[in-house]
Amino acid sequence: MHRTPLPSLLVATALSAVGWLVENPLYCRAAEAQAARETAVDFVRDIQPILADRCHACHGEDAQEGQLRLDARAIVLHGGVSGPALVQGDSERSLLLQRVTSSDDDLRMPPDDEPLTAEQVELLRRWIAAGAPWPAGAGPDIQPQETHWAYLPPQRPALPRVQDPSWVRTPIDAFILRKLDSAGLRPAPRAERARLLRRLSLDLIGIPPTVAEVDAFLADDRPDAYDRVVDRLLASPQYGVRWARPWLDAARYADSNGYQADQYRNVWPYRDWVIRAMNDDMPFDQFTLEQLAGDLLPAATISQKIATGFARLTTCNVEAGVDPEENRVNQIIDRVNTTGTVWLGTTMECAQCHNHKYDPFTQQDYYQLFAYFNNTPLEVEGNGVTYNFVGPKMDLPLAADQQAQREELIARRRQLTTVRDAAIEKRLSGDAMQRWEQAVASARATAPTWHVMEIESFTSSGGASHAILEDQSVLVGGPSPDKDTYTVVVKSGVSGITGFKLETLTDPSLPGGGPGRHSDQRPNFVLNEFTAQSVQADTQTSSPQPILLRGAQADFSQARFDVGGAIDGDPKTAWAINPEFGKSHAATFLTRQPLTAGADSRFVFTLDQRHGGGRTIGRLRLAALTGQPATDMIPAAIAKILDVPQEQRTAQQANQLRDHFTGLDPDVAAVDAQLATLKKQIDAITPITTLVMVEQQQVRESAIFRRGDFLQRGRSVQMQTPATLPALGEEPTGDRRELARWLVDQRNPLTARVAVNRWWAGIFGRGIVGTIEDFGTQGDRPTHPELLDWLATELVARHWSMKHIHRLIVSSNCYQQSSKGTPAMFAEDPYNQLYARGPRFRLPAETVRDNALAVAGLLSHTLDGPPVFPPQPAGVWRHVGRNAPKYATSQGDDRVRRGIYVIWRRSAPYPSFTNFDAPDRASCVVNRPRTNTPLQALTLMNDEAYVEMAISLAQVIAGRKDLTSEERIVDAFRRAVSRLPTDAEVRVLADVYDRERSRYEQSPAAAEKLVGKQPAGVNTTEIAAWFFVANILLNLDETITKG
Amino acid sequence: MTPYEEAAQALSRRELFQNVSAGIGSIALASLLGAEGGAAPLASQPTSLAVRSPHFAPRAKNVIFLHMVGAPSQLDLFEAKPALIKNDGQLCPDEYLEGQRFAFLRGHPKLLGTEFKFTQHGQSGLEFSELLPNLATHADDICLIKTLHTDHFNHAPAQLFFQTGFGRFGRPTLGAWTTYGLGSENQDLPGFVVMITGQVAGAGNSLWGSGFLPTVFQGIEFRSQGDPVLFLSNPSGLEVPGRKRIVDAINQLNGTQLADVGDPEIATRISQYEMAYRMQASVPELMDISQEPARVHAMYGTQPGQVNFANNCLLARRLVERGTRFVQLFDQGWDHHGSVFSSLRNKCKQVDQPTAALLSDLKERGLLDETLVVWGSEFGRTPLLQSDRAKAGRDHHKDAYCVWMAGGGVKGGATIGATDELGYFPVEDAVHVNDFHATLLHLLGLDHRRLTYKFQGRQYRLTDVGGEVVQKAIG
Repeated sequence: MHRTPLPSLLVATALSAVGWLVENPLYCRAAEAQAARETAVDFVRDIQPILADRCHACHGEDAQEGQLRLDARAIVLHGGVSGPALVQGDSERSLLLQRVTSSDDDLRMPPDDEPLTAEQVELLRRWIAAGAPWPAGAGPDIQPQETHWAYLPPQRPALPRVQDPSWVRTPIDAFILRKLDSAGLRPAPRAERARLLRRLSLDLIGIPPTVAEVDAFLADDRPDAYDRVVDRLLASPQYGVRWARPWLDAARYADSNGYQADQYRNVWPYRDWVIRAMNDDMPFDQFTLEQLAGDLLPAATISQKIATGFARLTTCNVEAGVDPEENRVNQIIDRVNTTGTVWLGTTMECAQCHNHKYDPFTQQDYYQLFAYFNNTPLEVEGNGVTYNFVGPKMDLPLAADQQAQREELIARRRQLTTVRDAAIEKRLSGDAMQRWEQAVASARATAPTWHVMEIESFTSSGGASHAILEDQSVLVGGPSPDKDTYTVVVKSGVSGITGFKLETLTDPSLPGGGPGRHSDQRPNFVLNEFTAQSVQADTQTSSPQPILLRGAQADFSQARFDVGGAIDGDPKTAWAINPEFGKSHAATFLTRQPLTAGADSRFVFTLDQRHGGGRTIGRLRLAALTGQPATDMIPAAIAKILDVPQEQRTAQQANQLRDHFTGLDPDVAAVDAQLATLKKQIDAITPITTLVMVEQQQVRESAIFRRGDFLQRGRSVQMQTPATLPALGEEPTGDRRELARWLVDQRNPLTARVAVNRWWAGIFGRGIVGTIEDFGTQGDRPTHPELLDWLATELVARHWSMKHIHRLIVSSNCYQQSSKGTPAMFAEDPYNQLYARGPRFRLPAETVRDNALAVAGLLSHTLDGPPVFPPQPAGVWRHVGRNAPKYATSQGDDRVRRGIYVIWRRSAPYPSFTNFDAPDRASCVVNRPRTNTPLQALTLMNDEAYVEMAISLAQVIAGRKDLTSEERIVDAFRRAVSRLPTDAEVRVLADVYDRERSRYEQSPAAAEKLVGKQPAGVNTTEIAAWFFVANILLNLDETITKG
Repeated sequence: MTPYEEAAQALSRRELFQNVSAGIGSIALASLLGAEGGAAPLASQPTSLAVRSPHFAPRAKNVIFLHMVGAPSQLDLFEAKPALIKNDGQLCPDEYLEGQRFAFLRGHPKLLGTEFKFTQHGQSGLEFSELLPNLATHADDICLIKTLHTDHFNHAPAQLFFQTGFGRFGRPTLGAWTTYGLGSENQDLPGFVVMITGQVAGAGNSLWGSGFLPTVFQGIEFRSQGDPVLFLSNPSGLEVPGRKRIVDAINQLNGTQLADVGDPEIATRISQYEMAYRMQASVPELMDISQEPARVHAMYGTQPGQVNFANNCLLARRLVERGTRFVQLFDQGWDHHGSVFSSLRNKCKQVDQPTAALLSDLKERGLLDETLVVWGSEFGRTPLLQSDRAKAGRDHHKDAYCVWMAGGGVKGGATIGATDELGYFPVEDAVHVNDFHATLLHLLGLDHRRLTYKFQGRQYRLTDVGGEVVQKAIG
């Protein structure tokens, strides 16, 4: 992994001086010159064939690994990323000879191949010693290219001289003004204060200023009034919300997997982490390190692990039949490409299949980056039918209220345990256990026998008739009620009963032969509950005692209608027998303990059959069991202990038996049931999870995929940063930390430039490099290269502080210019690349909504937490694959939270955001388009969410009873766009209000239809008329524009 | 003249078509200035739906693309394979299986022949199974490609590949590329319209997304429930005249602002509000099929008020008639891993009649010559049996499957390519999805190598680095 630091292209100026020296023949050592004269080596005859045969495949016309080609003289002398290939006359110092003779397999050329023969090496040595003569015309005449500007380290430029130094408020202004000077232009005047404050507020926190804030700013005539506002906004927690949004686009943050099923995933703690990091002004280098390698930092904190969610935000396809490894590879490819775009401003994905055509990145570079991310587990798991998203997750500490609730439940559990102990003590008092053991022993000693019980009475709550047959079965007939409860009283006839049997019998008189009464085709019954009570013969007056039943078994139970459902106390569960119709069936139930009832006792059974459709039993018979109970009344393990004489039982056996005995006590059983519920409740307080990166123990071997196909593995590669950029100076760690540190190493020429350029674009609408995603040779060149470098070096020098750069930008006079222009100015410089005016462009999707909510007086400033679900049209979330999620529209605060918290489902993002150019977040986006469409107009006019806002704004306006209607219009106008309206503007809106007011006074019902029922004391027609004004204000170009 | 008109007039016509950075909607401004909608040349990277001239004379103006989501079995509809029927139940010869990956099949699969009868139709003698009796009457209009092959065998990636030429998210769809290249003729309707029957396909909205192209080129879904276009209807209680008064006031205030600030973006905004207002009338008019004559309803099998494929076919015709450039229908329910014979019969009952009716209807109206109709799916199905014979199904098959095209300059009655005796691999004229896309663009007068968009430093195109026009398919 370790790369020997070699001189790089980035010190090209220094090298060129050396180059002049080594090319000077006088510099050759005399001895070598002498040797060279002895036997002349001919380049074309002796050397060119060696180079062609052994080197040109990678360093020739088709490929230029390390930007080196060995077929063109000028390039051999200039060298590639490792410096000049040879030093004329000095073979020992020539890289070419060093590399073909190296004893290090990783360094020796050609790689993975036989070394050059001794004879070939000797020829090369002698040729170089002879001054490496290379006749003109041998090989192509290609000159080395100048290194692309973006791969040279930014140099801190001196501030340029300008014609009007008084305009220079921050160093940025000097660079801007210099260019304006040379274009013969003057900057625009400072923006009006109200407009400026709105611009600043939208840029720094994404929320417009309140009217009070505007007034305060207008009234503040201190020289540093503006700077004070900048300070206030930079310190606002809403700053992080504003600036996290573009980062989340880049990080392709979403709350679902994407693809076929697009299930919800829990990773929002990462989103909150980003917001917090920005609020804390976490240095961008640390911000980078934690997201790419937080899990690998020594004593990594929970926060640092959450940060690694960045890499886990890739989409994941869990459709049936997917290849999990292919999915994993696609995710890593996405990680490499995203890293390339976000930090290096480089399109790495070209190099996935072949060496980059335009930029100096090879396919090997690509898979070396791939290797950093390759040590990850599969994220799809499947059994051939169902596939699921898996992969590393982390539990977060519980929230305070959850923690409190959990502690309360645990305390309750402790208390119940004490109660249970007392119940057990009571249960064990005296010789209770001894007597129980004797009763069990005697029951077990008797052979099990079934005794049919004599029917004393039968009643049907539904009014069915019945006959008692000779075999003591009851045959039900007559009307077939929809639902029925049978009450059957029987004489027991025996004592020591350990169970009951319910037989459901066939009979020719029943539909389809029975045993149920439902229909000829389906003679089913559904027995919802079966209960038994005992009535003592000697105490006729005493109330019946319930008999606890357990261990239900049946010869057959219908799927999902298990016989156990008939005695679980839950009428929703039941026993039924579809499709085993036309056959008799039987269910047996055990008593908890042998019944001590006498021969004259009676039992009352109720058979609750409430399923409906006449699914009742047609013929039934009841029997009692005496003798040895079935095994699950006395569990096998307990029976085994009982067979051991008391004195020979081990302590463990004795305990086990005692636990079984105490568990039979109703009081203990009741406490046990409560404890089981408590356990469920305690377990249900689960911590929030979030997706994180985790390295696998076992290291995966990485290889180049031929043509980008993961099934075609080529040469193995190791983790390594791209060869064309400076190597990492520090001791490498061989993992993602190394990559992260390399990205933010101050020698990396790209990262700081790419970052400041993105921020600049966030404020001015366009980067200094217009293609903010591509700093390569195909990208735009910077409009102000020195400004870009000044900002990049400033960022590094100021400990990577984002807030520092933002402060510099918004403090500049360049930023504070008025954005007004003449049509000619807009035509001359449509992109405002000269900055002869201030920035003016439509707000991003989320800000369009946040701004409107704020204007309407609704916006919630709550931070953090799970995604929210503001109103959206029905049917936007649809069934996809096996996933049919419900969109449960939020109420209250969550309905009006900032857009960053809105649930982001990749297959169906929030539609009003989509209409304002939000991406689907399935892949990295650093540059949202900015369109202007009729769908945007429809959204602002008709979306339920915006209609709600307009109604709210109408209520706010109507509520200002202290103002005249014209004053209210001025106030509402200022809420929307901060500045004061002109008289003409007021007149337009006042006319609207007056006209609509008089219309609605004609038909108040129409007003209520539009704005709904208003609270008492509120004039509905007035609200409806103000609704028009509000809807207009929320739709103004100026309202959705930062200007 | 209002202030914004004055401001707008100050802008020269040239820059309207050049200032196409994110956001300057040139058509709108063009119409504001009363400019005739004469086709502008395909500018470097347009950002509006204004009509643009293609690279060369087109054969087709509009496209109706019928995507059967899930993948119908070509072996039971278009490809009669006697050898497959004869060897039904036999183990698949090993040489076919080497290096093959399947979504579901495991072990050594058996062959599965069709149960359906195939007959030849028309002058061309094109073969159809008995499941497509209506479509078969168009045998001489259809160009059948038998050897289409794709790179992916899972639905979502293959759907993306079929619509964007790339198996992952992030690229523009064919419809987006088309409207990017040509614009659209009716500015009161979207240029790229999507309609869906059944569940939305696995890859979701990305199947009509614009990828890295400006979002004006993304497909607009006409929904079958609620507003056909999201947010089209006024809030309840707001009538059309009220909306008109609001739009007028918005535009009046925007006009004042345009005069003050000078930003042409405001002029665009003004015209977009006008267009939005017009769409509120034109879209419901379009969606109301109840006024079509009974004969048309009988032909398509349409049922006004219902959601079905037939209604969408009729709407597709109404859209191209009104100048919408690209209409995409998705119909879900073709993923027959089990009971392929009975399921396919049911699905064909739903689509055969309306699809044939669409071709007939376009023909009668003289629209078929300029409308390219495409019928196909993300992949095909295996000649191999999945599940047991009683519930015979077929797995996903990416190596050879069938799509057809009709109208729009396509050579009617032609068959492109041939597969081996099992219908497993192409043996003649294999057509890759890139080739297919190149051909569709070619028919629209667009050179797939020149229809590019520069993004992240690279000139991207629908066909990536591949694509050869299938000349044999062109009439």
